[in-house]
Amino acid sequence: MKIFISGGAKNGKSMFAQKCAKKLAEEGHLWYLATMEPRDDEDFARVARHRNERAGWGFKTAEWGRNIALHSEETDCKGTYLVDSVTALLSNEMFCGMSGSINKNAPAKVAAELIDFSEKAANVVFVSDNIFCDAAFYDEWTDSYRVGLAFVDKALAEKCDVVIEFSYGQIIYYKGEELL
Amino acid sequence: MELITGGAFQGKTAFAKENFDISDADIFVCEKNSAPEFDKKCISHIEKFSFWCIEHGIEPADYFFEHAENIEEKIIISDDISCGVVPINKTERAWREANGRLLIKLSEKSEHVYRIFCGLSQRLK
Repeated sequence: MKIFISGGAKNGKSMFAQKCAKKLAEEGHLWYLATMEPRDDEDFARVARHRNERAGWGFKTAEWGRNIALHSEETDCKGTYLVDSVTALLSNEMFCGMSGSINKNAPAKVAAELIDFSEKAANVVFVSDNIFCDAAFYDEWTDSYRVGLAFVDKALAEKCDVVIEFSYGQIIYYKGEELL
Repeated sequence: MELITGGAFQGKTAFAKENFDISDADIFVCEKNSAPEFDKKCISHIEKFSFWCIEHGIEPADYFFEHAENIEEKIIISDDISCGVVPINKTERAWREANGRLLIKLSEKSEHVYRIFCGLSQRLK
């Protein structure tokens, strides 16, 4: 089963994604694939908070901040994998290095690697972020990231069995309601 | 009238082409810096038309209903710009609100209203 969840910040996506993953895993291994690469105190505090929220759920945490295809060789793919988040993964792949350059191939790479991984794995739950509904004009740098994330989201939504938008704890199904 | 909204880059134009038998030639793409033309069947990025209105002291909904003909046959596409932080810039603040007022009226007059999310559609009306 492949599940895609997106929505605004602080809407309950991660908690719901954890519940879905836990339910899907049953007896198999349950993995939390952490994609954020923490860089400062604020990041480390967020990681600690998320680890606390997952404590006792049975998740094993793996840090897969980039190169999903390479990392997927580390696992037998038999488990249930929660990928939190697509947003951070793309950011890592797109803005790597200190040069300020953009890897324009990153969206296609991330989409292809995530889809490939999800087809091998028993179950995958993807968490992304809806960053597309504000009234602002962005610089080219930021806009290329928005276009890139929309590309990855659309590619994953097409392949997933269940597609959900979260709105303040409420679920909007775009696909696969009957499967959950 | 058909109204299609949703976040930026979500696949709204692709949805319109797929479902309403239109091609690029049938679509007028609004710009922030120039007056719109409403003669084509599909008008996209109407939120940019709203921005042009604000910069010219015009209420978008008033202008649209005065200038557009055959409204009942139109397909209107707008980015949803309603969910971010309130913009610091005064023009952008006014723009966000005026586009909301326009979309409420368009939504009311539309036969169907769709919201596109990650390439998938949801019919709201």
